[in-house]
Amino acid sequence: MSVGSSGPSAEMGASEIAQGVRSGRFKARDVVQAALKRVATHNGVLGAFTDVLSDRALAQAEIVDAKVANGIEPGPLAGVPFGVKNLFDVRGIPTRAGSKINRERPPAERDATLIERLEQSGAVLLGALNMGEYAYDFTGENVHDGASRNPHALDRMSGGSSGGSAAAVAGGLVPLSLGSDTNGSIRVPSSLCGLFGLKPTYGRLSRARTFPFVASLDHLGPFARSVRDLALAYDAMQGHDDGDPAMAKRAIEPTATRLRNPLPGARVGIAGGYFAGEGLAQQHVRKVTDALEATRVVNLPDAQAARAAAFLITMAEGAALHLDRLRTRPDDFDPEVRDRLLAGAMLPAAWIEKAQKLRRHFRAEVLKLFEDVDAIIAPATPMQAPLLGQKTAMFGGIELPIRPNMGIFSQPISFIGLPVAAVPIWLDGAELPLGVQVIAAPWREDICLRIAHQLETSGVAKAPLPRGFSET
Amino acid sequence: MGALDDMAYKPFDADAVIDALAPLLQLTISDKQRPGVRLNLKTASKMAALIEQVKLPDEAEPLPVYRP
Repeated sequence: MSVGSSGPSAEMGASEIAQGVRSGRFKARDVVQAALKRVATHNGVLGAFTDVLSDRALAQAEIVDAKVANGIEPGPLAGVPFGVKNLFDVRGIPTRAGSKINRERPPAERDATLIERLEQSGAVLLGALNMGEYAYDFTGENVHDGASRNPHALDRMSGGSSGGSAAAVAGGLVPLSLGSDTNGSIRVPSSLCGLFGLKPTYGRLSRARTFPFVASLDHLGPFARSVRDLALAYDAMQGHDDGDPAMAKRAIEPTATRLRNPLPGARVGIAGGYFAGEGLAQQHVRKVTDALEATRVVNLPDAQAARAAAFLITMAEGAALHLDRLRTRPDDFDPEVRDRLLAGAMLPAAWIEKAQKLRRHFRAEVLKLFEDVDAIIAPATPMQAPLLGQKTAMFGGIELPIRPNMGIFSQPISFIGLPVAAVPIWLDGAELPLGVQVIAAPWREDICLRIAHQLETSGVAKAPLPRGFSET
Repeated sequence: MGALDDMAYKPFDADAVIDALAPLLQLTISDKQRPGVRLNLKTASKMAALIEQVKLPDEAEPLPVYRP
């Protein structure tokens, strides 16, 4: 940790920053200024932020500093700068959701609930982050705003659709960001950029005042470079909100204070069948399962069909959401997104009904597995970050398009709303990471995070800043 | 691994689907859009073939259940 004349360093995580600000060791204003400087230095290359809100951030930092100066509790995230995927409403700017069309909307009048909750905990919003158009993307590329780039290899994808959220944290611009995950859009960029990411249980965190994609599958969650930071942010965002009809009325269940609690005799299963194989992804899984001394293989029945069902529901619901825009402004879409949505509008209702029935069936089958295991380990993505612009890759020995296939391992899990921590794994000597999913039963985010923390403290999972991004 | 399985795919005339449904949906599919829509319909039909392989009882309920 270092505090130079320019302020706290890029290496510093959210919990260290909050500790420093709360103790008066340094000011939130210095933290925010240092983060703004890093954004000015690196954002041109990374393409992470689409909107930088310097005045707002500095004003918020002053509020935090005044609280500290006056002996008022500033919150557990005091002075922590963060960014949000640009589908979150941010007061004063249009919610573009990665599109050209939506940036013509009037500026949002109120922040999304999760922004409000993080700021109530002392965090400071720095701006909005790049994303794939309307969140229908696994690449992190955007035809309107340019690609967000992978800080570990600038010619490679950050992953999508929360690409900017991952690039900003992996590049050390901010220690914390928020994204959304419908089919893998937190877990895929976490995997490609080497970050910890949390997709909570469906209905756990409020989606109020965020632009939707597939209402029945949309989740929101945080990215960070440590599990502690992930848990701090997640805890700050919990709690019921009438503004999101999908929310379950769950009490707040804090996790950050329980990370070190041992999980005596934790029963960890390895996802077999559909998730198994001899590829690079499975080598990363093996590193995790070896460390956890997991040997039991569990089979998620009909996982391939579950993934197909999520795929169809996404196409159909996404198309229904955008139908008017497809009629009136087709040329203003990213062509790859548009053509998927146009096809989605034409899917037979019988397919979607079957997909929804299969969702209940798959949920029941997978929940049975949690009678015998506490967590299931699976790859987050089938591959490491592809090159920007790359269209196809080898999947199980077959050359297939990247866009629809990057989510093959993440989609069956979000389909039934299970909580997942994505943990970044590096094989010896590897230049790129690949993420592994730690999956638990509904509402057991604590298990995901405690296992992720165990992997982190034992050195198996880590999120180092890449060369060139840790100097300032 | 779960990549698309061509064995499950039954070929169909995607252009006929596009020509029949676009007017119903009040969509205009341009020549520029057509190859992409065709490709995505083909992908969707492969996905549908996968879900149709799973046999469910007549009593199976969809996941969303209305609660008044």
